Amino acid sequence: MATPSMKKADILAALLLVPICLYVFYESSRWPIPALLGNPLLIPRGVAVCLLAAAGMLLYRAVTGRALPLEKRLQGADLRRVSGVAILTFAYVFAVERIGFIVTTFLFLLLFGLVLGERRWVRLAVFAVVVPIAVYAIFDTTLHVPLPRGWLW
Amino acid sequence: MVSLELLRRGFATVLTGYNIVALVLGSFFGIIVGAIPGLTATMGIALLVPFTFGMNPITGIVMLLGIYTGAIYGGGIASILIKTPGTPAAAATTFDGYPMAQKGLAGKAIGMATVASGIGGTFTALCLTFFAPILANFALRFSAPEYFALAVFGLSVTVTLAGKSPLKGFISGALGLLIAMIGLDPMGGFPRFTFGFPEMTGGFAFVPMLIGLFALSEGFRQVEVVLTAPKVDAVLKDILPKLRELRECAVTIVRSCMIGLIVGITPAIGAETSCFVSYAEAKRTSKHPEKFGTGILEGVAAPQCAENASTGGDLLPMLTLGLPGDAATAVLMGALTIHNLQPGPLLFRDHPDLVHEIFAGMITANIVFVILGLTFARFFARVININRRYLIPLIFIFCMVGSYAIDNTLFDLATAVVFGFLGYLMMRYGYPVSPMVLAQILGAMMESNFRRSMAMSRGDPLIFVTRPIALTILVLAAFTTIVAIRRQRRVLQQEAALATAAAASGSRVVE
Repeated sequence: MATPSMKKADILAALLLVPICLYVFYESSRWPIPALLGNPLLIPRGVAVCLLAAAGMLLYRAVTGRALPLEKRLQGADLRRVSGVAILTFAYVFAVERIGFIVTTFLFLLLFGLVLGERRWVRLAVFAVVVPIAVYAIFDTTLHVPLPRGWLW
Repeated sequence: MVSLELLRRGFATVLTGYNIVALVLGSFFGIIVGAIPGLTATMGIALLVPFTFGMNPITGIVMLLGIYTGAIYGGGIASILIKTPGTPAAAATTFDGYPMAQKGLAGKAIGMATVASGIGGTFTALCLTFFAPILANFALRFSAPEYFALAVFGLSVTVTLAGKSPLKGFISGALGLLIAMIGLDPMGGFPRFTFGFPEMTGGFAFVPMLIGLFALSEGFRQVEVVLTAPKVDAVLKDILPKLRELRECAVTIVRSCMIGLIVGITPAIGAETSCFVSYAEAKRTSKHPEKFGTGILEGVAAPQCAENASTGGDLLPMLTLGLPGDAATAVLMGALTIHNLQPGPLLFRDHPDLVHEIFAGMITANIVFVILGLTFARFFARVININRRYLIPLIFIFCMVGSYAIDNTLFDLATAVVFGFLGYLMMRYGYPVSPMVLAQILGAMMESNFRRSMAMSRGDPLIFVTRPIALTILVLAAFTTIVAIRRQRRVLQQEAALATAAAASGSRVVE
């Protein structure tokens, strides 16, 4: 059985770090340098230079076959579950203030349970109804921490 | 020096009304979090921080201390019952705990684990109580150059010791430093790296980021790897340890207390290391080392005691110097700052009453989890069987509600989710998350004190080497970094040799 390594991920990470470091130089070139308050460019640019060097080392190690082994490749059902949950979570952020906490959370929990493979519908539905109401009661009513209401509920 | 009168008043505060209720609830929740494999003490604290917003500071803090100590102890329960550590720190408990459970002695193992954890935790809490004021008093002499040196020390140790690869630890820490720079310049007051978003003028809110990196990321990982835990079918009996059994383990417990304390004080290495060191020492010094691994009480007492004995050591640099030793104490530090309490020597000077309440809370928390652990052992054992298809969505909801609740802004919720996914990807590809978080705290400390030092010396960098304390700390930082890199190089050489051997025997590494 072949052992997967982090080679591709390391190369990608190193390539992503380069524009981040270059942006630090670009943006810091526009900063004012106040007198007697220490040079504000020194630490950000110092960190960017070190990060650039680290990216170079990461790239070198990856292309010379010294990347660490990967525990497990993300594929098949695992990949579907993780992507499904990621999509649901980001969708929740967009929807919760528009639709409202209780309805959005109900839908989120219901779909989350399905993505994880739960097929006991009644139990899942009860869970998806009870949790948002209980959380709303704890935060909004007891702890007086307002939760998003939205146009529905 | 510790004030016994303030300590007495601290106990009076902690043991009254809402405070003791919050502590017991926190401890109970902490043990549950610890007992469920995959959930960590750091995650438990991050999840419950938002619940403490509406509480007065000491109520919130003792609740979080209850979670912290309870979760560190609770990790041992799953180690004993299903050979899967509840928290990473409890891995060494599986060596003798699980064989005891197989012999039908799970109750005895859990009882000894509980008492040994309690003794270790209480010992370290007492050490914290007596040594922290002395260290804080000494730290009052520190000025900007010393704080800069401390931040450099904390960063170098954290970055090089966290994770399998110091390079990836360094990248994680450097990214954390850049994230810490988002917002207003600490001296000049002009915006940096805000990309035109007014919400980013103050930088990313710390707690949503913590919730994302420590709790949501773990949630994503659980979605990927753990959908079912092995069923617990052990019958728990004879939970309360007998005096004779405690006497047999006394020397091991005392030694583990010392190991846990020393390892805990060292930044970046905490409960995980102390357990393994303590277990190895117990075996090495035992008259019957061959029995270790077959299911003996000493093999359970040593790691469990050291695990909790490291908690006070971890808190010591955080409370006295504002230097968090590990991820859990970084989250605790974030929780303190939410209540407008900045850890460091000034906390001891300006709020001595509160500091003594924290000491009293820490000592009480270690006693409370022993009582809960012995009383509800059977319940905590059953908690391990909780259905993940319901637990994981619940964790997500608490993370998202907690992030939103801080300032009632969608930006904080988005921060938690983005950092949650980033943390998951980082964990998956070998980048430790804790250097990124610690760099957020230490980066701000490092930059502002560097700039102050340069202003003090009118731009002369020699200020860092002409002050003896600053120089000593910087030399220590350099020494620790070199040692860590050499150690890592040795490990990589060993791995390369193993890979060569594997290649020779026919397996191959693919991308």
